[in-house]
Amino acid sequence: MADVAVGKIEDNEISENNVDGVVNRTDTTSNQKAETEKQKIEILLKATGNAPIMKMKKWAVDPEKKIGWIIDFIKRYLNLESSENLFLYVNQAFAPSPDQIVRNLYECFGTDGKLVLHYCKSQAWG
Amino acid sequence: MASDREVLREIWEGKLPVCFQLHSEEVYALQAPDPYYLMVPRLSYFPLVTDKVRKHFSRHIHPEKREAEMWLDFNGQPLKWHYPIGLLFDLQGSDASLPWNVTVHFDKFPEREILHCPCREVVESHFMSTLKEADALKHRGQVASSMQKKEHNQLWLGLQHDKFDQFWSVNRRLMEVGSSGGGSSSALSGSGDEAAFFRFVPFRCYVPNLEIPYRQRPIRPCAEDGRCRTLGDLLEELFPEEKGQTGKEVRVVTHGVEPPKEVPLQWLSEHLSYPDNFLHLVCHVIPVKRLPSMSASSSSPAHVSSE
Repeated sequence: MADVAVGKIEDNEISENNVDGVVNRTDTTSNQKAETEKQKIEILLKATGNAPIMKMKKWAVDPEKKIGWIIDFIKRYLNLESSENLFLYVNQAFAPSPDQIVRNLYECFGTDGKLVLHYCKSQAWG
Repeated sequence: MASDREVLREIWEGKLPVCFQLHSEEVYALQAPDPYYLMVPRLSYFPLVTDKVRKHFSRHIHPEKREAEMWLDFNGQPLKWHYPIGLLFDLQGSDASLPWNVTVHFDKFPEREILHCPCREVVESHFMSTLKEADALKHRGQVASSMQKKEHNQLWLGLQHDKFDQFWSVNRRLMEVGSSGGGSSSALSGSGDEAAFFRFVPFRCYVPNLEIPYRQRPIRPCAEDGRCRTLGDLLEELFPEEKGQTGKEVRVVTHGVEPPKEVPLQWLSEHLSYPDNFLHLVCHVIPVKRLPSMSASSSSPAHVSSE
């Protein structure tokens, strides 16, 4: 049922409100970007605990995006305060480091062509 | 595994001499404070060993900055507190000499480059998460999740207080192979050979000067025919582009030494992993002349520093 639509997290969509770092990064890697454009990784974002669900659960993201960036994205999508906590989990078992990139997690823990990430507003799995 | 316990001890006792100096622009006094010297365990994390450093320098900075978060850099590059100290040093390669000269800051926190570390609990949760990630690769997470809270604490306290026996009395369970997870191991894949191997070898491969911090892939410690796979096999899989004709060689440094390429991955994982249960491999891709590769080891940046 969640298989209906796949959202695309576009760089410019996010970078509007994000300061220089993100914008710069996309500038410097624009060549690479063209290459990786077609190989985006599909992630599935599942709410857990008291976290609000996202209308759009499937997203295609750049493999080199960091977990911290995804956390910020979910917060923005859900209109959470930037000071609010949001925790992401892989395999419902561990919280990846904010500087981990999506590709590494997808390669190691992806299933059926996508990476499932659970998010919640309080620590769920230690 | 027991037979090579000495190796575990040597790795545990690896230390680095570090010279901490306050950044000159942050000195709030007529004279710069003395540098502060420490011997720090390679396996530890900076926030666990720098309380005294903070205390030493905080008297010499602007009063308004005294409560600010301390951070460190080497050669202008902020040091990531969530990497083990030994890894941070190995990443510098031959740029770093001993003692390692690290600069201390209380001002201008580099938000984009390093994570905040407000307290030790943050280090603990990072450490435990990484350890659980490693177990997810080795045993589908079954060993870590079957442990009690007090066993998790013992791992953390053992690392924090530099207690080898305390740490290893629990960590050895994470290093077991086969049907240790409580469930039936035959649920894995096929033959009985897996009993002697982890499912995957938890490792992170750092290539200096690359845009991404590290590469991580699911690599099995044994081949389909049951043969042990080696560090060389791992490198071939990670760097297919360097294989063969390109005239490039990948050199791996961890714990300040260069393990031979023929070391089996399973042994490497059991003995040279950091306390977070990951192998942290610094990989230097270097061009080689068409000479026997043996001569390349003379410029090795290896520093073994036990005791």
